[in-house]
Amino acid sequence: MSAITLRSVVKRYGSVEVVHGIDLDVEEGEFVVLLGPSGCGKTTTLRMVAGLEDVSDGELSIAGRRVNEVAPKDRGVAMVFQNYALYPHMSVRQNMEFALRPLGLDAAEVDRRIQEAAGILGLGELLARKPAQLSGGQRQRVAMGRAMVRTPDVFLFDEPLSNLDAKLRTQVRLEIGKLHNRLGTTVLYVTHDQVEAMTLADKIVVMQNGHIEQVGTPEQVYAHPNNMFVASFIGSPSMNMIPARHEGGRLRAEGLDLAVPSRFEGKLPEGQDVVIGIRPTGLQRAEPGAADAVVARVEVTEFLGNEALLDIRVGDHELIAEIPAAGRPAPGDEVSLTFDPSVIHLFDPQTGATLSR
Amino acid sequence: MNKPSMQQAILVYALLGIALIVFLTPIYLIASSSVKPSPIMFQRPPAMLFEPTFEHYRDLFTMRPFGKFIMNSLMVALGSTAFSVFFGSIAAYAISRIKHKRMNDIAFWILSMRMFPPIAVVVPYYIIFKTAGLLDTPLALIIVYSTANIPLTVWLMKGFFDEVPRALEEAAAVDGHGLISIFWRVTLPLAAPGLAVSAVFCFIFSWNEFLFALMLTGSEAQTATVAVMSFWSSDAVQWGRIMAGSFVILIPGVVFVLTCQRWLVRGLTMGSVK
Ligand SMILES: Nc1ncnc2c1ncn2[C@@H]1O[C@H](COP(=O)(O)OP(=O)(O)OP(=O)(O)O)[C@@H](O)[C@H]1O
Ligand SMILES: [Mg+2]
Repeated sequence: MSAITLRSVVKRYGSVEVVHGIDLDVEEGEFVVLLGPSGCGKTTTLRMVAGLEDVSDGELSIAGRRVNEVAPKDRGVAMVFQNYALYPHMSVRQNMEFALRPLGLDAAEVDRRIQEAAGILGLGELLARKPAQLSGGQRQRVAMGRAMVRTPDVFLFDEPLSNLDAKLRTQVRLEIGKLHNRLGTTVLYVTHDQVEAMTLADKIVVMQNGHIEQVGTPEQVYAHPNNMFVASFIGSPSMNMIPARHEGGRLRAEGLDLAVPSRFEGKLPEGQDVVIGIRPTGLQRAEPGAADAVVARVEVTEFLGNEALLDIRVGDHELIAEIPAAGRPAPGDEVSLTFDPSVIHLFDPQTGATLSR
Repeated sequence: MNKPSMQQAILVYALLGIALIVFLTPIYLIASSSVKPSPIMFQRPPAMLFEPTFEHYRDLFTMRPFGKFIMNSLMVALGSTAFSVFFGSIAAYAISRIKHKRMNDIAFWILSMRMFPPIAVVVPYYIIFKTAGLLDTPLALIIVYSTANIPLTVWLMKGFFDEVPRALEEAAAVDGHGLISIFWRVTLPLAAPGLAVSAVFCFIFSWNEFLFALMLTGSEAQTATVAVMSFWSSDAVQWGRIMAGSFVILIPGVVFVLTCQRWLVRGLTMGSVK
């Protein structure tokens, strides 16, 4: 039985439809991340699961029970809000007690749960403080503690790290991951940060404009994107996209002439327009005499430590290559690059869909 | 905030001083006159040094049942305040949270009830309460004052409820709390300054009110404000007792405001100190 099921779920505000009939299954104990650009409907979807927004159409179930008409308080979910929404007039301990109150536990159990959460999250020293006396990271942990003590069936997170600085974000991200491993509770997590999604998720749901573009493991959405949107949204720097044409077993574009990778042989009609997608790591310095080497001009180099990014120009296309930093070329140099055929993606320029399957 | 310069500080204190003089002079006159022996009451220039007497206070409570009138005033003011703050807050919460295109009209309609000229409704009230057998009872005044205090409370509290972040209520809802629990334990405590402001306004209005109290009460439910004026009769104006009565009347208001002050200061400056 799935922990959360969405069937053709639609959200309309007045006459404006912002979520267009999405289907999703979140399995018991799974960590599922809703990922997408700003305004794509992630928060709206999460809030529908929490019961804070009505479902306009379709069916939403939690633990096998239809919950469209069930009040938030009866859904057995706990939520961590983007701005944490800690009760400012209550101490850290009271914040957690307040979340436990509806469960009607005895005082000893309430105390045990608070101590346990405080232990796991390192809140012991802070229990008597008010939220205003806490740092951003501490507030974030209190918000998680408040969600945790209720031992819900499902955790909902809405961009819980977006108010933290970069260093803290990495640290808390790890803590959330550990927490999930330890508690094994189902998580539905909203973010527009793909690093968060990649590192935390068992399953990533890529959304755009109120549609689900792809559902898959981080490896699947990275290595086998369904379409150009997913391909360019996942991965940093973005995948290079080059419009080309299939002619006589070759992929041709200005300044470019590649053999069709063997995976696609026999699948492409002659004269078909395609978009070649290749990640920056798929472009590497060519060995002398390598077949299909492309000559490119380096415009800018960015040193990252182990790697360097080259902004290069091939014909009239600007591409990015990520190569070992040692012995990198200088701006203005000409380099010879090969496209690793095993990681070349081909897309239909009209629909954006992948041609890889 | 920038540190104020010396000149600014002097200016601020000078203005405060003037304001204090303006506001405190009448109170000083009341207080000093209430303990002045009658013969020197109107001496000119006013007598500054005299043997204080408490005869006016004694007369106040022995010649008339002034204690009872104070109790009437307290009952009416506290009753109307409690009633208005309770129902006003609930109404304000509904107006603040329910999304409906006519909600602003409803809110304005409620406020407009406050705009009645009191004199226009005195006679209808008199007839209504006479028919209902409520003339000369504290309940009549509690009802009348609440019709003025509830609109005020609704408007004040709506502003305060609007400021309480919705996310907190949503968090409480997801945490398993129902509407009443959310209102009582999250929203209302965060709007506590508003409650204090509303209570002070309701209390002071009800405590000071004169016209309705004069028309709708007799010897039983008479309030202190009306009672003080009864020392002003056709044959003599008993200034000493009026002053003593006025001074006694000041006290509950001051006590009430001081009690609420902790929340009041935050309330009156809310928004500006965020
Ligand atoms: N109350 C509302 N009334 C009308 N439209 C709304 C409302 N709330 C959200 N929307 C619209 O719904 C769409 C999805 O919003 P949502 O908040 O779910 O985006 P999101 O994916 O969470 O974006 P972000 O990453 O910026 O938080 C947006 O186009 C937004 O303008
Ligand atoms: Mg959002």
